[in-house]
Amino acid sequence: MKSSIMKIMCGFAAACLLLGQTVQAATVKVGVLHSLSGTMAISETSLRDVLLFAFDEINAAGGIKAGGQSYMIEPVVVDGASNWPLFAEKAKQLLEQDKVAVVFGCWTSVSRKSVLPVFEKDNGLLFYPVQYEGEELSRNIFYTAEAVNQQATPAVDYLLAQGKKKFYLIGTDYVYPQTTNLILYKYLLLHGIPLENIGGGLRKDSDGKVISAGKYTPFSHTDYQQIVAEIKQFAASGDACVLNTINGDSNVPFFKEIAAAGLSSADCPVVSFSLAEDELRSLPTKDLVGELGCWTYFMSIKSPNNKSFLGRWNSWLKKQQYPGVVKQKRAMDSPMVLSYNGVNLWKSAVEKAGTFDVDKVRTVLESGKITFDGPGGETTMQKNHHTTKNVYIGETRANGQFKILKEFPNVVGEPFILDDLDKKLTAKGH
Amino acid sequence: MNLKLIILIAAVGLWCSRAGGAELSPRESEIRAKLVEAILAEETAREAMLLGLGETGSQTVREVFSAWPRDRVFLYEDSENRSVPALLGEEEDAEGMVGATLIATGERIKAEDGQPRRFDVTEVAPVDTDGSLRKVLQLGIDLLSLSAVDPDARRSAVLKLGNSQSPDNIPLLRTKLAKEAHPEVRQAIHEALALLQLGSSDPEIQREAVRSLESMKSIGCLEALKKLASNQEADPGVVQAALRAVSIIEAHISWINFVGTIFRGVSLGSILLIVALGLAITFGLMGIINMAHGEMIAVGAYTCYVVQNLFGAGFGFSIILPINWGGNPISFGLQLPGLNASGALYESYFLFAIPLSFLMAALAGILIERAVIQFLYRRPLESLLATWGVSLVMQQCFRMVFGANNVQVNSPSWLLGHFSVDDIIFGYNRIFVVAFAVLIVIGTWLLLTKTPLGLLIRSVMQNRDMAACIGVRTNRVNMLTFALGSGLAGLAGAFLSQIGNVGPSLGQSYIVDSFMTVVVGGVGSIVGTVCSAIGIGTADQILQQVTGSPVTGKIVVLVAIILFLQWKPGGLFAVRNRSLD
Repeated sequence: MKSSIMKIMCGFAAACLLLGQTVQAATVKVGVLHSLSGTMAISETSLRDVLLFAFDEINAAGGIKAGGQSYMIEPVVVDGASNWPLFAEKAKQLLEQDKVAVVFGCWTSVSRKSVLPVFEKDNGLLFYPVQYEGEELSRNIFYTAEAVNQQATPAVDYLLAQGKKKFYLIGTDYVYPQTTNLILYKYLLLHGIPLENIGGGLRKDSDGKVISAGKYTPFSHTDYQQIVAEIKQFAASGDACVLNTINGDSNVPFFKEIAAAGLSSADCPVVSFSLAEDELRSLPTKDLVGELGCWTYFMSIKSPNNKSFLGRWNSWLKKQQYPGVVKQKRAMDSPMVLSYNGVNLWKSAVEKAGTFDVDKVRTVLESGKITFDGPGGETTMQKNHHTTKNVYIGETRANGQFKILKEFPNVVGEPFILDDLDKKLTAKGH
Repeated sequence: MNLKLIILIAAVGLWCSRAGGAELSPRESEIRAKLVEAILAEETAREAMLLGLGETGSQTVREVFSAWPRDRVFLYEDSENRSVPALLGEEEDAEGMVGATLIATGERIKAEDGQPRRFDVTEVAPVDTDGSLRKVLQLGIDLLSLSAVDPDARRSAVLKLGNSQSPDNIPLLRTKLAKEAHPEVRQAIHEALALLQLGSSDPEIQREAVRSLESMKSIGCLEALKKLASNQEADPGVVQAALRAVSIIEAHISWINFVGTIFRGVSLGSILLIVALGLAITFGLMGIINMAHGEMIAVGAYTCYVVQNLFGAGFGFSIILPINWGGNPISFGLQLPGLNASGALYESYFLFAIPLSFLMAALAGILIERAVIQFLYRRPLESLLATWGVSLVMQQCFRMVFGANNVQVNSPSWLLGHFSVDDIIFGYNRIFVVAFAVLIVIGTWLLLTKTPLGLLIRSVMQNRDMAACIGVRTNRVNMLTFALGSGLAGLAGAFLSQIGNVGPSLGQSYIVDSFMTVVVGGVGSIVGTVCSAIGIGTADQILQQVTGSPVTGKIVVLVAIILFLQWKPGGLFAVRNRSLD
């Protein structure tokens, strides 16, 4: 009798073990590749946090259903440490050692460029969430980010409609501002703005072709006296505005100098492409009231979707126990929402494909039928790996939020616009 | 106006009389009623009403007009569920709540218990504004400013009207001109009138306008003049006059740019100077390669931040150590209550912050000197490593206490703004930095040359052993000298908090500049530091102006410095001494 009980118990224990194994087997590894230390950590840790939130949310709802089975997401978080070669190494580790199904990550264009060959060689899948300069299309990368025509050019359209006639271009000296400003320069010429009304200066190569437009300062530049004096003279005749692609904390001395020179947002508004709600937390918003921003998501969007999203995010923040995730005084902004959208787009693609196989998931994503109704409105993945989404223009308020002034619904993401602009300009005889 | 509105206004009026708005003068209550009407009006009807209000010159109207674009005008639902416009107060209490007054009566909104009701700024629904409404409000403020007491306000109001390009403003400006007595404002009105008259169809009037713009050297009108000069259809005489005016104004602009650049150079030089002066003492006089100098600057800047918060809502922080003690992480926190000051008192925080920054940095300096540096006076290379380590530790401390993000330091309003002489802009913060630099240089000089302490410092720094032989307590003098150098760095931090970022790595961005300034000036010479700071600053700004790029300017300056040090390795003012080392 006793031995039979023992046998039953042993069998039960073995069954439990087996069961445990099957439960453990139904997980899928997903990579998170962001800088959690170094200069970029301030921005990128927020993306890590929102990704963890998205994974927890999907797991709590039963995981990803592929091929008749549910898979729980198991995040593999690695630190790129604001070190671009390290990004490539970490990407290799994620793809070859951890064998993750997909990676969400990168902030700066230079980190994306450094992981790109790794993803192409190992046929990985990367979702990239931060506004970027375009002119790139890899079969292994899906860009949920804003392309230039989903941020910079709509902002210019808005300013032109407001009757602005003079545009001053200024940015930090690296690939995103350089490319964006070059596109904007051509875009402004195409819209009939004369050359002398585009401020900041031009650089030409030996053939006389313009290779750089606008004024550039290095990262962490602090002395903006000369530049602001120049803007002040530029704006003296009225109807001027500034298109600002300065990145990071250089914005503080820049805006303090703007305020000290008496350039008000009513006379000469500054539209910034790298300042979202998360960055505004550490800026003197008092000096920024009325300046403009342009993104595909604002925390102040009044939709039931956004309200419930923010509610879920805040309650997750309070409950979560991840080390290093700050609970208080958190903001939500466009790069974070685009990360969140990326996870959900990938999930629907996997569920439709019924497998995690990269080639099959890519085919489904490229079908143009994968849609997610996110906090900023509906997002659709296009055949060219970019997304269709709503674009919003907002102005900064004293509380660090944006008041939405205009919405451009369902803007199609278009990465290659420089060539197109060049053709149109030649046709116009420039 | 729709019927609903009339009823509402009547109701508000009734409510006013019932609430006993008896203290208001009839004119004042009439203005307030009009304001209420305008706020509740349809967008299309608003404009005329608001401009009409702008003509009144009333202080109430100004308050509402300037509060409205900042989302401080909202619709308050009163006890009888009517929406009445109300104005949020400016003074936030500890919880960030503010009081509010009814626009119709100017009375405070009270809660049911009779106490003033407090509102959460983020909770109330402000009356929306958009770009065009803000423009009208701004024009309204301009109109109010045209009759303002302050001539500067009148002047900028006139300039705005001149840029409006609408000839309707000519009669308005003419009537103002007849009343105006202030010479600068009269000049501005003339300029605005001339600009508006450039668009006239009569060549005689145009010529007259060009002539007066030329004599006023108006920069804002340069483009209008250029346009006129290149206009094929314009009268040849007018074009001739416009061409002449353009060349005169362009010469004027290059003059302004020249003087402006010199001023900006001096102000940048002054920043370099206050940043480097502390180092000129710790490195120059004492010979310590002090890599923690930047963190002393950061101590000053953070002191400024803490003082600002103490004047405001108070300050709290908590540190959680990454060590477990019996299963629980060790943590401690501190909550300092705030004064909840506002207005002028709040803005005076900076005056208190300046001496406190000096004190805090000096204390930190004493601590470091006692703990680390006193053992390293004869080993400069080890002092480099040790102070570098100290700087890393301090940066991590800033991160733990204040967080990795930059903190916000608000500039007092008397440091914002500017004045201009002959179109050259002088920012108040820039004037302040120049004056500040002059003061601390004079202070340091007096301290070193005219006080007993200064005598001791100089003797110890020249020959430590000899000074010790004749009975100077060199140990103590070393400590005080290091404290003085650190304190000066703290002063630099207090000022830097007003023009840039305050964050854990603040010091890192200034350490190279500081060493550069001291080395170029000649190690050990305060006069050298002053000359090199002003020289580097001015050269940097001139090159920026000439090359048109902030980076090339900086590169040229650095190359020049390298070449200069090849030629004069001892710096501008090399200190000669008889020691053999």
